Amino acid sequence: MDGEEVSKVEGETRRRRKGKGKERGENPARNRQQNNFLPSSSLSGCQIRTEVSKARWVEEIGMAQVIEKNGSLWATTGVIRNGNLYCHIEEIGYLAQIGALVLLDDGENVMGLKDIFTKCADRRYGCTWEFFEAYRDLKSLGFIVGRHGQPWSLKHDNLKPNSNFTVDTDFIADRIEELQIGAANLIFDIYKPNSKFKKTDPGAPSFIICLVGDWPPIRKEVEYLEEKCKLVPLKFCHVNHGDVRFFSFPEVSLPVLP
Amino acid sequence: MELSGPRWKGKNYAQIANSNPMSEIIAQLQVCLSNSESAALPIGTDFLLETEPELTDLFNCTSFGRQLKTSNGSKGYFQLSPEETFYLHHYLNCLKVLINNANLINVNDLWNFMRSRNELFPIYYRAYMHLRSKNWVVKSGTNNGVDYVVYRHHPELVHSEYAVIVDWEKESGEKEGGRLRVWSDLHCAVRACNGVAKAVLLLNVMGYEVKFSLPELLERMTVGERQITRWLPSQCRDDCKLDNDVEADDIDVASDKNVINHTTRYWVVPLQTQTQPEIGEEDSDYAPSMSL
Repeated sequence: MDGEEVSKVEGETRRRRKGKGKERGENPARNRQQNNFLPSSSLSGCQIRTEVSKARWVEEIGMAQVIEKNGSLWATTGVIRNGNLYCHIEEIGYLAQIGALVLLDDGENVMGLKDIFTKCADRRYGCTWEFFEAYRDLKSLGFIVGRHGQPWSLKHDNLKPNSNFTVDTDFIADRIEELQIGAANLIFDIYKPNSKFKKTDPGAPSFIICLVGDWPPIRKEVEYLEEKCKLVPLKFCHVNHGDVRFFSFPEVSLPVLP
Repeated sequence: MELSGPRWKGKNYAQIANSNPMSEIIAQLQVCLSNSESAALPIGTDFLLETEPELTDLFNCTSFGRQLKTSNGSKGYFQLSPEETFYLHHYLNCLKVLINNANLINVNDLWNFMRSRNELFPIYYRAYMHLRSKNWVVKSGTNNGVDYVVYRHHPELVHSEYAVIVDWEKESGEKEGGRLRVWSDLHCAVRACNGVAKAVLLLNVMGYEVKFSLPELLERMTVGERQITRWLPSQCRDDCKLDNDVEADDIDVASDKNVINHTTRYWVVPLQTQTQPEIGEEDSDYAPSMSL
């Protein structure tokens, strides 16, 4: 149904084995068949990345500061605060899963995917597991995805480095209140893939994503959310066991026919 | 919103439809039916109408009811749904209805009769009336697991564009209808309808109260229209219709032995004297424009 997808296999990326079977004089294909009835393509992992960035988790603000930036992906990922680059947990989760980011704790220890995924699902950081799955789905298709209503770039004048996150922590606190189970929430501002995207001047989003909870939205909810989005098209997202689907409910008017 | 527009079933069919506006044919039906002695009788949950040849043709052209196949060549027998019956009787004011083979019934008594058989009748009638009054042809949606399917003109000329689900809420705004309650309802409706190249149209009938009389109901009940489409981010488009399956309504017409298959002779003989269209030949130009 959908287009290309990044492999969603959990765990570390795997190095492909080449040549080992041949060195032993064995047939690697036969080895696979003896040990596993699945076609080999279904066991593939993510492709290995050569450009890997590094970030450090900052618990006080619920984000990570990027300390080593590699690759062009940062043009459309992460937010700028007073000249520094930070990313949200869903961004960390996605980049770590595809092997583009290594996350350190406040020491020098690398945080594993299990811990990162657990943080994604931890509502304290303004994210839920379903929120992360929707983010991953859209990001892997090349969309530029930002948290709804949150500026991509902010400059604080005369603020000490450690105190310039007051705005963000308030924002996250607001989001935690909003992320009630079962409720419909506006979560992402989406921009179509654009090589000229500027965090300092992103423009209006192409559409806004609303993550819907347990029940399909009713008319009043749809109208209320549309009003909040003003003229930006709204898409509704439902995530169910990893299956991420999007719907539109545009108001229409069938023409009067002759 | 990308919609490929109407899919006409043959070359020149769009032109035939444009030359024969449905509103005009319905006006002819109104005159003919008003002047006719025929009256509809309850039969099961529907209504039966016996028609003379001219009326038979007009019923077929306006696509009201289902014509029953009989060996009687001189008379037509049409089975009308409650909504169709009431629309012809009330909105078009041309159909007589006989209850208990006795007296011709008036509109308020017929309304109460309809409601006594189905408490949801007012809601469905309001939705039906909303669509038919805009001159869309409205047929049963059972084949597609929905309430109605709507056509831009006669089903013999064009494929239906919308699969209609009717939901309703009270005057207070409280949702009353049980449609699309859970997510699988939504996924099911979209999947089933997109698979036969139809967009899902949700008609929300608002302002319903059981105690309303007919005039109150029609004045205070409004209908909102929303389309339900699945957005495919991988293709960055709304998927209103997929184009890979055979039209279900084509299959149904062929397999139902009790119902006369309408032929396009109705469009060629009484209303048109132009060259005949190429009946039965699907023009490849009419392959749907949306691709997977």
